[in-house]
Amino acid sequence: MSESRSLLLETAERLFAGLSDTAPFTSSWREVATAGLPSLLVAENRDGFGGDWGDAFAVLRCAGSHAAPLPVGEAIVAARLAADAGLELDAGLATIASRAAGEVDAKGRFAGHIASVPWGREPAQVVFDLGEQIVCAKTADARSIERRSSPAGEARDTLIFEGAAVQCAERRMSVLEAGAFVRGAQIAGALDATLALSIQHANQRIQFGKPIGTFQAVQQSLAVFTEEAAAVNCAGQAAAEATDRGDAGFEIAAAKLRANMAAAVGVATAHQVHGAIGFTQEHTLHRFTRRLITWRSEFGSERFWAEQIGRGVCGRGADALWPFLTARGDTGLRGRSK
Amino acid sequence: MQTFSIRPFEPPVDAAALRAEVRAFLAAHQPKGDATSRSNSWAVADKAFTRALAKAGYVGMVWPKRYGGGERHPLERYIVLEELLAAGAPVGMHWIADRQGGPLLLRYGSEAQRQDLLPRMAAGELYTCIGMSEPGSGSDLASVRTRGERTPDGWRINGQKVWTTNAHNAHYMIALVRTGAGSQRQEGLTQFLIDMKAPGVTVRPIIDLVCGHDFNEVFLEDVLVPDSLRVGEEGAGWKQVTAELSLERSGPERYLSSYALLIEFIRVVGTKPDPAATALIGQLTAELWTLRQMSRSTAAKLAADEDPALEAAIVKDLGNSFEQALPRLVQAMNDFDLSADTDFARALAFLLQVSPSFSLRGGTREILRGIIARGLGLR
Repeated sequence: MSESRSLLLETAERLFAGLSDTAPFTSSWREVATAGLPSLLVAENRDGFGGDWGDAFAVLRCAGSHAAPLPVGEAIVAARLAADAGLELDAGLATIASRAAGEVDAKGRFAGHIASVPWGREPAQVVFDLGEQIVCAKTADARSIERRSSPAGEARDTLIFEGAAVQCAERRMSVLEAGAFVRGAQIAGALDATLALSIQHANQRIQFGKPIGTFQAVQQSLAVFTEEAAAVNCAGQAAAEATDRGDAGFEIAAAKLRANMAAAVGVATAHQVHGAIGFTQEHTLHRFTRRLITWRSEFGSERFWAEQIGRGVCGRGADALWPFLTARGDTGLRGRSK
Repeated sequence: MQTFSIRPFEPPVDAAALRAEVRAFLAAHQPKGDATSRSNSWAVADKAFTRALAKAGYVGMVWPKRYGGGERHPLERYIVLEELLAAGAPVGMHWIADRQGGPLLLRYGSEAQRQDLLPRMAAGELYTCIGMSEPGSGSDLASVRTRGERTPDGWRINGQKVWTTNAHNAHYMIALVRTGAGSQRQEGLTQFLIDMKAPGVTVRPIIDLVCGHDFNEVFLEDVLVPDSLRVGEEGAGWKQVTAELSLERSGPERYLSSYALLIEFIRVVGTKPDPAATALIGQLTAELWTLRQMSRSTAAKLAADEDPALEAAIVKDLGNSFEQALPRLVQAMNDFDLSADTDFARALAFLLQVSPSFSLRGGTREILRGIIARGLGLR
């Protein structure tokens, strides 16, 4: 790991570990903003941190491993996508959303609705896809905001617009992809944290006179959980590296799909190992598992990404699959010459 | 805690050029073969193909030149292996010598053993088999009972090995033999090279459920083995055997076994299949891509002389589960006629029958998960 990434991770670790689920949003968010995290992926010559997608994966994985109740990932990619597309963001909060419908008229006014906007009730800018365009609207310009929440209790609000002035541009990376990257990284971190809790519990909880972790049935299911968590962590890092190299539509799709599959296994196994105590509000487990349940449904389900990948694979034909996979992975020399 | 951290796969050569070279070799030398053969790649022994591979420098690739090797980088070998396996090439004849036999001798063998055997292995002319399992010792390997007793100039070995892949083609067996008592079961084990033509060695075929002849039982009756064919130290057999396991657990052969079927399935459904088939192909591709990243990362750690034993166990179990699930997921997609005279039906029928072995060979699923659990600190 590079020195700058280790320093960044130290900062993120300290920050996320100190967050509380019950603290007011504005005070928690001020800490994140002060640390400069939202500009992580913005170039240094644009006053950003100048990090790469590998840094973003590391930070968001860390956020996931603390179940950080903040739109850190949303803000990081909103800033990057806006910068890439030439949209101007102000210094405040920026979030992203994938469930938008409506249209922008010739005068640049948006009419439509955006559902499940993370922290859409806050004064913020929302970056979203509309067809092949990327659009940025201000939550303050919404005609109405319906407050909703995710299963994990995080704000996922519905915003309705009737002719609000927005910025609009050709996009490079879609919000859907960027969001999938974010959720994949968070899932990787949350799964590792959930696994660690499960191992700890299995070593401490005594039944039949010994820790339940000594029973093979428990060991085998935790081993499977470990394999799933490992797959997500590897896929997420590989997707980050691919994104740093250029077009990574395939890798991000594959990594989110794999993360979704693993999230389902991880949630079920963690609760099974924890038994009744893990089912309480008091125990910390639900902070992770309820987020994992939520993230699995955001920015593309298994079926969505599977069909997208499958269309590409089938369209290119059977004999093109291996050359496709290897050509995208063969970056040894190029990777090092940087 | 981070369950898996990636290590970049950075071979010191142009990977794309090496792949092109291997693909050109395959185009010229891979026997036509049907989909059954392509689905059984590293279990298909083909002497002519092995010799051609060796001539092209693809056997013993990483071994020192003075022993007939190519002194190539381990990641170059990895690239060649994945190309051969993805194409379903018949690499079974030299597979064990290349993957385990040669590396074992390089690590623990005597200079005389290396000079005698490695050049012939690298030439694709000398093959080995592994004598570990016995009728009473499967997953519980430390319980081996084949005994070696000292004689004035070597050892007299008695016992029986079973499930010995390629014993009928091999020139030498690398056998794990009990040579001493020891207070622990893992003590007192020693590895030997047993000449398969030596008096007292009898090989009997075991025909598998699809009528294939891959493994054998090997009887050892008063087989005299000179001490010069002992591999490594007396009593160090367990340590030597377990040290090589990372090498054979994380390779591309642990997730590509059903790849030939995936290809035939994509061919059969065409460029615009129904949504369910499209989704299945997409999901399998995503899993395959993920496993490939994990396997390559583990290979990079091995190449850097780390011992990623836990990662290797993870790759093997996850890879085996994937290649084992693939045939049954494909089968469920439609009313396929398993007796049809097509490459697709042959690959599907074959893999449905043999895929249960994927999570048995090279360490069972349960043993691997036990290793992972121990790695997690579960006591």
